[in-house]
Amino acid sequence: MAKQMLIDAIRGKRTPRAPWVPYAGVHCAFVIGEPADKFLKDPQLLAKGVVETARKYKADGIPLVFDLSVESESMGLEIKYWKDNVPSVQSHPLSDKTVEEAGLKVPGPNDGRWPVLFEAARIAKPQLDELDCALMGLACGPLTLASHLAGVRIFTDVVKNKEKAHHVLKFCAQVVKKSVEMYCDMDCDIIAIVDPVASQIRNETFKEFVHPYCQDAIAVIHERGKTSSFFICGDATKVLESVCQIGTHGFAIDEQLNLTFVRDLARKYGVGFGGNLKLTLAMSLGIISPREDAIVSLAAGGTHGYVFAPG
Amino acid sequence: MSERKIKIDVLTLDSVQCAACGYMMESIAAMPPDVQEMIEYKEWSIKNQAGIQKFLELNGRVLPTICIEGDLVFESVIPQYEELIDELAKRAPTPEMRERILSLRDKGFDFDRIKENLEKAGAGLHTRRDSAVE
Repeated sequence: MAKQMLIDAIRGKRTPRAPWVPYAGVHCAFVIGEPADKFLKDPQLLAKGVVETARKYKADGIPLVFDLSVESESMGLEIKYWKDNVPSVQSHPLSDKTVEEAGLKVPGPNDGRWPVLFEAARIAKPQLDELDCALMGLACGPLTLASHLAGVRIFTDVVKNKEKAHHVLKFCAQVVKKSVEMYCDMDCDIIAIVDPVASQIRNETFKEFVHPYCQDAIAVIHERGKTSSFFICGDATKVLESVCQIGTHGFAIDEQLNLTFVRDLARKYGVGFGGNLKLTLAMSLGIISPREDAIVSLAAGGTHGYVFAPG
Repeated sequence: MSERKIKIDVLTLDSVQCAACGYMMESIAAMPPDVQEMIEYKEWSIKNQAGIQKFLELNGRVLPTICIEGDLVFESVIPQYEELIDELAKRAPTPEMRERILSLRDKGFDFDRIKENLEKAGAGLHTRRDSAVE
């Protein structure tokens, strides 16, 4: 396992081989034979699952959790837990209220599940260090958090009611900044802003409503000497150039993009890139051969700023 | 005889795991009650065989996608309320329904019944490989 190699790749540098990150998430619960809902609420289980999964898959880095409901839950939103999946957000307090009317406050280390994450990181970090595996902190990105807070209405507001949308996103930026501060305090080596819904908007909207609201969080990551990334899902082709310009050291994408296209764009901007292994088609459904998919991805990604990882 | 409804298929990875898929589903589930009466919709997660078959049948290209009456209408773009209304109206089976839908253009999303609407559409319920979709 090779933590520094992963950091170098995310920073767009050449590496002796492509480092590898399994974005295991609640699969860590499966690995230790626990249901996802129990796993996510228990720091001992969380740490155990993350460390055992890192060891099992010989990971160069692994996220503490891959759960975009953490911030929402810590602000009092209703969350539904599942035994075999990540939690989902069930209520949207800003669908008909302002931040002030809803009484929302930027959450801190004692709110919601943050204490569980702090304790889990405290247990897992030295064990991961021993394995030479990076600990990754994943903060919910501003637009995805805005969707959780305001519901699907935010996608109309970013076009038709911009003032209201900016009001929500401004608050979200403060929450994202606080989240990355907390992941820095947990001593995560790599911190990513994860904004999956940012692929579902037009590029102009991305520039107006995603880019500016990531800047404070990115500045914190860099001031604290950590490595930054931006994760996006879905067919992000239309916004990918903007993703390259957002200011993080690297970015990660899912299985729906063409890795050669992604590689060329990442190299143009000197940033790292990763992801794209066919999580659904190969690893989950077996429709295409996972082995061949891996070979094709390694060939396309190369060893210049590429992180071998599922999409 | 009841009026034919507009058929919507939402192709997803999994509306629980994938936030983009979740909000695609929610954009339909948050349509106001007057629109809900005129539509029927279902989530097709690509994690199970029925979802894969539906993806192939509709010639899906990306996830998530909202298909209306078999057309790939919103591909990796979460629609605005008015865009949804306009695309539904275009595909209404009768001129009367088309007019009724267009008359609701200023109504806006309704968040009061989202949970029950999502449940009705099977959102998040068929995301295992062995899930059967009825």
